[in-house]
Amino acid sequence: MNGHDRLLAAFLTGDLDPGEARRWDEHLLDCEQCWRAVREDRTGRQAAGLLRQPAPDGLADRVAFAVELAAAGATSPAPPRRRVRPRPGRLTAAGALALGLAVTLVVLLFPGGHGSLPAPVAAVTRYAETVPPVHRPGPGPGEQAAPVQVGHPVTVTANGHPIVVRTWRLGGTEVVVATSGRPFPMPPGAHGTSAGGMAWVARAGNLSLYCINGPTSELLAAAIPAGELAALAARLPAA
Amino acid sequence: MGGDHRAFLDATLPHVDAVYHVARHAARAGQEPEDLVQETYLRAFAAFGSYRGENTRAWLAAICLNVARSEARRRRRRPWEVPAQVLLDALPAAGAEEARDVADVVIAGLDARAVARCLGLLPEPQRACIVLMDVAGYTAREAGEALGCPRGTVLARVHRGRRKLARLLAEAGVSHERS
Repeated sequence: MNGHDRLLAAFLTGDLDPGEARRWDEHLLDCEQCWRAVREDRTGRQAAGLLRQPAPDGLADRVAFAVELAAAGATSPAPPRRRVRPRPGRLTAAGALALGLAVTLVVLLFPGGHGSLPAPVAAVTRYAETVPPVHRPGPGPGEQAAPVQVGHPVTVTANGHPIVVRTWRLGGTEVVVATSGRPFPMPPGAHGTSAGGMAWVARAGNLSLYCINGPTSELLAAAIPAGELAALAARLPAA
Repeated sequence: MGGDHRAFLDATLPHVDAVYHVARHAARAGQEPEDLVQETYLRAFAAFGSYRGENTRAWLAAICLNVARSEARRRRRRPWEVPAQVLLDALPAAGAEEARDVADVVIAGLDARAVARCLGLLPEPQRACIVLMDVAGYTAREAGEALGCPRGTVLARVHRGRRKLARLLAEAGVSHERS
């Protein structure tokens, strides 16, 4: 870029003093080459501006949640993830795996308003609290919306307890579903719905929790009555 | 550090849209912009205790670009790289109209995907400056901080990049100019 071009760039940025800017205005009346450069600059700037789009709903909440987990669980953020070098033909699978392992964080002790909840339950509850309320009409009479997964799975480790958290949308409701190979402990105040605490329901703030423990345990959380949550659980794909 | 996370979020969350813009254009194949934003914030949080800068937005952009670059290196791919076939697909076999004034090419409607593809044709330094300034809304000074180069260099790169982008769009039969 020569001195002439630098002056032109400064003119376009508004960096020139009024006298210089006026001289450039006059120059542009006569110089076809510079006039074209100005128009091309404007066209390029306007076109690039069309690529602006707001961040997806919930991204700020997701980021805040990840930071809060990092702050709560350790004095360092996410531990380095073990990565598998993708091999030809396996890129798609590797990409899917990377998405599935969007977050792996360690929660040693969950602070705040969920101190009475066991750590794995508290972690899921805290996550569910970050899910913004859905303002969509539900399905019409007689309709039953198919479940749609929202976003990507998040993996959280609470007290060495790995939990995969997914968010599902069913009609007008978003339900957080956490799955784990270990049972979710029954929190104080929960009501068992089966012998031995294999299934239980509880309240945490405005959230209902519904858990089915088994070889693969599931904990559902949503801001709806517990009875409805149990009914929604039956409509979700098997873990 | 844990006690600082509220202060950190207060200082950085207002910039999540800008960071997302940077991430969207810095993320490579197989990398989700949302994941890149999250990783950016986690790394920023780890460094927040020692951060003494004045421009948090520029600092976040710099981290985001570094994370994307590191990821690209790990994948043994160059950042900001666009596969040749994608570029060829983006541009039709245009007749030689080199002398054509881009402002004279008026096409009803603008395909943002074509803009993104043409943006992918630009050299990385120009593209980075355009993304930061024209897409994410950074000032030239902030872009300079994020990229580690002087403000004048950013202005020169963005000017050259915009002109090149306009010409590419004209060759592709797309123009944003509405005269």
